[in-house]
Amino acid sequence: MRVPLFRLGLWLSGLVLVFNGLFPALWILFTSLKTEAELSRIPITYWPDNPTLANYQRAFREAPLARYFLNSVVVAAGATLLCVTVSAMAAYALARLRIPYAGGFLLSLVALAMFPPATLLVPLYQIFTGLGLRNTYLGLILTHAALSLPVAVLVLYSFFKTIPKDLESAALVDGCTRIGALRYVVIPLSGPGVFTAALLAFVNSWDEFLLALTLNPAKEMRTLPVGITLYQGEYLFPWPLISAALVVALVPVALVIALFQERIVAGLTQGALKG
Amino acid sequence: MVRLLVGVLVALLLASGALAQQVKLRVFIGGQQRPDVMRKILDVYEQRNPGVKVEIEVGGATSDQQQQYLTTVLTSRDPSLDIILIDIIRPAQYKAAGWSEPLDRYLPLGARDSLLRQYLPAYVRANIVDGTLVALPAFADAQFLFYRKDLLDKYGFKPPTTWDEAIGQAQTILQGERNPNLNGIGFMGNISEGTVCSFLLPIWAAGGDVTDERGRLVLTEDMARRSLQFWLDLMDRHRVSPPNMAEKAQDTIRREMQQGRWIFGTLFAYAWAHFQNDPDSQVKGKIGVAVMPRFEGGRSASCLGGWQWTISNFSRNKAQAYRLLRYLSSPEVAKVLALEASNLPAFPELYRDPDVLRANPWFADALPVVLNARARPVHPRYPEIADVMRRGLNAVLARTKTPEQAAREIVQGLRTIYGQ
Amino acid sequence: MSRGLGRSTANRAMRRSPRDLSERALASWLLLPAFALLGLVAVYPVLDLMVTSLYELHLAYGPKGAFVGLANYERLLEDARFANALRVTLLITLVTVPGAALLGLLLALLANLPYTVKWPVRLGLLLPWAMPLVFAGLIFRWFFESDYGVVNDVLRKLGLAPLFWLSDPRLAFWAISASIIWKTSSFVALVLLAGLQSIPKEYYEAAQVDGANAWQVFYRITLPLLAPSLFVALVFRTITALQTFDIPYAMTGGGPGNATETLAMYIRTQTVENLNFGYGSATAVALFVLCMATTALYLRFLQREEGE
Repeated sequence: MRVPLFRLGLWLSGLVLVFNGLFPALWILFTSLKTEAELSRIPITYWPDNPTLANYQRAFREAPLARYFLNSVVVAAGATLLCVTVSAMAAYALARLRIPYAGGFLLSLVALAMFPPATLLVPLYQIFTGLGLRNTYLGLILTHAALSLPVAVLVLYSFFKTIPKDLESAALVDGCTRIGALRYVVIPLSGPGVFTAALLAFVNSWDEFLLALTLNPAKEMRTLPVGITLYQGEYLFPWPLISAALVVALVPVALVIALFQERIVAGLTQGALKG
Repeated sequence: MVRLLVGVLVALLLASGALAQQVKLRVFIGGQQRPDVMRKILDVYEQRNPGVKVEIEVGGATSDQQQQYLTTVLTSRDPSLDIILIDIIRPAQYKAAGWSEPLDRYLPLGARDSLLRQYLPAYVRANIVDGTLVALPAFADAQFLFYRKDLLDKYGFKPPTTWDEAIGQAQTILQGERNPNLNGIGFMGNISEGTVCSFLLPIWAAGGDVTDERGRLVLTEDMARRSLQFWLDLMDRHRVSPPNMAEKAQDTIRREMQQGRWIFGTLFAYAWAHFQNDPDSQVKGKIGVAVMPRFEGGRSASCLGGWQWTISNFSRNKAQAYRLLRYLSSPEVAKVLALEASNLPAFPELYRDPDVLRANPWFADALPVVLNARARPVHPRYPEIADVMRRGLNAVLARTKTPEQAAREIVQGLRTIYGQ
Repeated sequence: MSRGLGRSTANRAMRRSPRDLSERALASWLLLPAFALLGLVAVYPVLDLMVTSLYELHLAYGPKGAFVGLANYERLLEDARFANALRVTLLITLVTVPGAALLGLLLALLANLPYTVKWPVRLGLLLPWAMPLVFAGLIFRWFFESDYGVVNDVLRKLGLAPLFWLSDPRLAFWAISASIIWKTSSFVALVLLAGLQSIPKEYYEAAQVDGANAWQVFYRITLPLLAPSLFVALVFRTITALQTFDIPYAMTGGGPGNATETLAMYIRTQTVENLNFGYGSATAVALFVLCMATTALYLRFLQREEGE
């Protein structure tokens, strides 16, 4: 008797979860299929009266949406790779090696996160213009990686700390170097941690608007958030059009992450089991 | 050997000479200002001026986003921009911050006045800061009283000349139509620049103003209170506006009016093209345009808008930039903008131009409105002035402050800023 | 390099001090990229900000600034609008941090259940977070609009009166808080889910053998082992709560009046709109101090817990 009840409870909680996450996304999806006039109707409609794909056509016609998408992918992927690599190295050092200033370093890391990027725009702009990195992928990658560094280091730090030292010591006794131990023992076991840090870095970069607007305003270098806000007019906010662009921006990313996250986490833990 | 050297030297000189001729200029505009049309305009300039290449930089789609972007670039003293398109409320701030190159040094003394006389009169006040010419108009804009011609005709009304008339007409029509979705007078009440215009309209309509011709603060608590009370009364006493005006953004009113849900709307020029041309517009051919009503004994005045061209103080090609600026602010370019982008020209004579009128017949009705449009206060701390005014009106409309309280705070805030 | 270190490490496995030395060398190399990246992107701008806060630099009065020491900070102490922004920010933090923590914990626990089909659950968890903040705020404003919002539509359908969510100060606060909780709960959930997944299954099996009920399992096993992740999630959630900008900016612009204006919004107004960089920088440093104080509180709490 308990099993079907449990199954039902599982289903319900699953539905709650999915609905909680999805309802604004669904709203956006429905809006992308509506016309402007329908949005001013009272009472409001949910499912579009006459679903139309015109907004999607317009979205691609009025702006190089595909190019914006590519830029976002390059920047986000680059920032994620850089951030995870750098933070894994730093987090390992802080968690495992005896460093006198470890606490201070962690604290200053968190302290740097306490300054909203908006307040740092002017000097950042000057730095990157001086280095000639405006309107390049590299400039934005460096900035975004730094943005996610504090939280990534802390997440990985807490993960490395939970890995029993014996496993590592065993590897070292077996003749492995510290870095080898890092690669073959620690990282695979902290699969969830690495995945989380990577996800945090990726989404932070994907979402980021202000720095992307300031550092990469050129048409061919714009990222999605910057490009999508340009569908606006001074007073005009064309929701159906922007919703279509948002769907294009969100759905592929979310699907890829959701579908592959099992594989990524599993792939990382594979190494540990084998080794 | 010597001949080779000489040959190389000559070649180098020629090359550098050719390179020296190549001037690269960068023009900054917003995403909403039709970069495509601007590109065509600049292509013509490039053809006429070989050796000059002009690029467009786009940063942001709204006045706020552009301000965000430009603040970063200009505070960094970046020389990458030569000419910047700025909102009408910015020249005073740009001059004070040292971001704009004064244009006076390029104009011989008498020439400035005759140049400015070509434009709509209000732009003189808006673009001259402390006696210095800071910018020249790109295109004009103003706040119009849009009204439902068909409804007014149905009840035998002519467009109202006073606010009392407007309120009376709205009440009659609302009672007659018995349409729960129809509202009377639409205006901006949320936290946005348009609400500043809402605050100023009744003050102007009563014959007053915030400052005098010398820029000194003359606004009294009584004047401010009357303005706040006026809008509050539209909601609570006359019941010609719904109770949630504190939420209303300009485009919400425009969209609602487009679906036939407002009798009157105080909107900027962009609304017209949507009323007439949007495929889903319920009011095509039913919208009329009128000057702002006044109060008895006052004057009709509406809010001046529009965008201006200015030269960046950090530009490395100021002389060339000035030449480009004169071209961009010329009747020729204004006509192109009127034909291709439906922008209101800053030159009164273009409102009578047959080509322009054929493309935009409503410009004939628009002319009297732009002629008596007034500039918002011209002051380097305008953003703070605007903030004080719009928050006050917004609080009154949300009923979190009484008109007396809000008026007192507004005037006190202004006195602090004006140092009086 | 690593091979060399490996050989020397293996050779010196018995001795302590050379290992320390190479350990420190290794540590320096491992930390160098992080130092470099942050030094470039964060340290210089932060120092620049702090220096600017000591100047009177208000571009409405001219491009040049004058050194005024702590005068900007003195002004802050008497600034009523700053006090209001501080109050609003603290209230939002006090409501949305526990809110997001609770909702995030719930979502993480639900997401950790053994579903046969996992991906819709992961997707539902991820999407709130994947939505760019700059649009999330606008979407929520739409939801809470009195005429066209979903919230009022549901109220109407239930026969209740629609509410003016965005123009009533108290309702606006709750609308904004609810939106922030929704958006940030998935960040918390993601961090907690990773923590949940790394709890070894043996612990749960042992507890089952011992006959513990669900609550005991949660309280004695899950929660304590989740503590490190919870700590990280809470610290960052709190810092971002103190920096709240996008959602209230999009939903109310700080209105009605100044009822929903946060510190980050006030900073932006001072710097970008008023061009008062000196004062704006001082306000930003004040925000930083606030974040530091809050983190110190967390650390103090953590130390006390560990002490027990």
